[in-house]
Amino acid sequence: MTNKKTSLGGILLEALAVLCMVLILIPVVWMVSMSLKTEGQQITNTWQYFTPPYTLQNYSTIFQTSKVLIWMWNSLFVALVVTGLVIVISTMAAFALAKIPFRFSKFMYFFFLMGLMVPTEATIVPLFVTANRLGLIDTYQGLILPALAGSMNIVIMRSFFRGIPNDLIESATIDGANEMYIFLHIILPLGRTVIVTIAIFTFIGNWNSYLWPYLAAMSEDLFTLPLGIPTFIGQYTQDKVLPMTINTIASVPIIIFFIVFEKQIVKGITLSGIKG
Amino acid sequence: MSTKRRRIWRNDLVALAFLLPFTVLYVVFTIYPVGQGIYMSLFRWGLMGKQGYIGADNYARFLGDRFFWGALWNTTKFVLYSTPTIILLSLGLALLANRRSPLKRLYRAAYFTPNLLSVSVISFLTIYMLQPYGMGFISNLMKTLGMREDVFFLRDPQLVWVSIVGATAWWTCGYNMMLYISALQDIPDQLYEAAAIDGASPSRQLWSITLPLLKPTTLLILLLQLIASFKVFAQIRLITNGGPGNATRPLIQYIYESAFDKNRLGYAAAMSYALFLILVVLALIQLWMTRETER
Repeated sequence: MTNKKTSLGGILLEALAVLCMVLILIPVVWMVSMSLKTEGQQITNTWQYFTPPYTLQNYSTIFQTSKVLIWMWNSLFVALVVTGLVIVISTMAAFALAKIPFRFSKFMYFFFLMGLMVPTEATIVPLFVTANRLGLIDTYQGLILPALAGSMNIVIMRSFFRGIPNDLIESATIDGANEMYIFLHIILPLGRTVIVTIAIFTFIGNWNSYLWPYLAAMSEDLFTLPLGIPTFIGQYTQDKVLPMTINTIASVPIIIFFIVFEKQIVKGITLSGIKG
Repeated sequence: MSTKRRRIWRNDLVALAFLLPFTVLYVVFTIYPVGQGIYMSLFRWGLMGKQGYIGADNYARFLGDRFFWGALWNTTKFVLYSTPTIILLSLGLALLANRRSPLKRLYRAAYFTPNLLSVSVISFLTIYMLQPYGMGFISNLMKTLGMREDVFFLRDPQLVWVSIVGATAWWTCGYNMMLYISALQDIPDQLYEAAAIDGASPSRQLWSITLPLLKPTTLLILLLQLIASFKVFAQIRLITNGGPGNATRPLIQYIYESAFDKNRLGYAAAMSYALFLILVVLALIQLWMTRETER
């Protein structure tokens, strides 16, 4: 069926789609163009927000006077380590639940399902006390370890791994392969899609995570970007150019990340939506 | 017999080894705090630790605390305002971005972009967009268009909710739009073709085919949205810090302030269980729903 008639309705909808795009992107474009402005420039009409003169002065000011590079490094470090560890421990656990016939398999699965019902937001106070007792407050371990403890990934991976045919595993077993071999050479390669998806989401989630780091990181040298930005902006009440610059600096890496992984991210959202 | 038994034992041990690293973390950081929280809620508890057993007093006290009810009401308001807004906007964006168009991919990426920004970034963008006196983008645009009046988005007790909900919708709609788009793509083309042959207009097709078939997705988004919105904290804390007055302070912020500003951790732990209860009920409904759809 070809859409021959470019109807008036079709043109109006196209225009509406473009208008929505412009409205949605205006704040982002404004942020970037403000970061290119000179501090204290008078803006008489709105168009001037976007027109030259531009300068890169703000960027060098930010890199020299703020800890933005440290915060960015912390965000990146924490997000990468969490992602790596989540993948290792969750694939291991999900493999055991999906493919090893052991006696407490059902029990363990339900034990992990229970965790889906525990919202971190409602346990922050006891979690803080627990982490404090373990000496984890204001350390990297304190930012990382609690972020590994959610059972959602395991539930998703388990249902995916169960779909991997048992024939493959049985024939490998007959050839004398042990569980470690099966895990590394059958499960991980065949589970690639779900693993990549979960890795991407874990990374984005932790790069942007706010509530727990807000409690667990006390010193500025341990802040991640979402914590550092408000601290930095708090010093500026009048001018917007430096705050907008630091916002831009914080946003560029994740936007590049999105452009690179667009396909997987889109696929992953659907997956997470179905499994909730 | 004995080889079989040995096999069972061996499987148990191997499975245990694979499960161990996650299980330890899960028990320590997810399960244990739930029990620890119940225990704490029975005590007067400061940052330095236990101060004295008081039984159910913390619970009785928060049930009579008007700031607790105020904060719970604020959270509820946020849920009530944001959920329908976000669902309708996400659906609209999905329909726009799923049309046959050379710019399809661009639309999707653009509508999704705000979702990538960190909560701190979107909060400060909101604050700066809404500054009065011609300093913020909106106010400046109004001045440029010749309007004289100043609008105080973040000081007016009604407009402040419009601002917070608007910012949240702008930030999160892209995600739900993607869920809708994937559901739209699952609707077979033949349905539309058959309807077109029968002479159904595009708007008729929308009402009779598309929207009814999107119902399961809408229910899913509704629940995900309810769960996420009851947890609201970061953007409100950063945009208004609960103000003006306490007009927008959500429950999590009150819990946080009670614990770490007022040093009443037991009281805060007790209040957390009100939120816990709401979220557990929603999670159970969601679990039950995914079971139903998987069948």
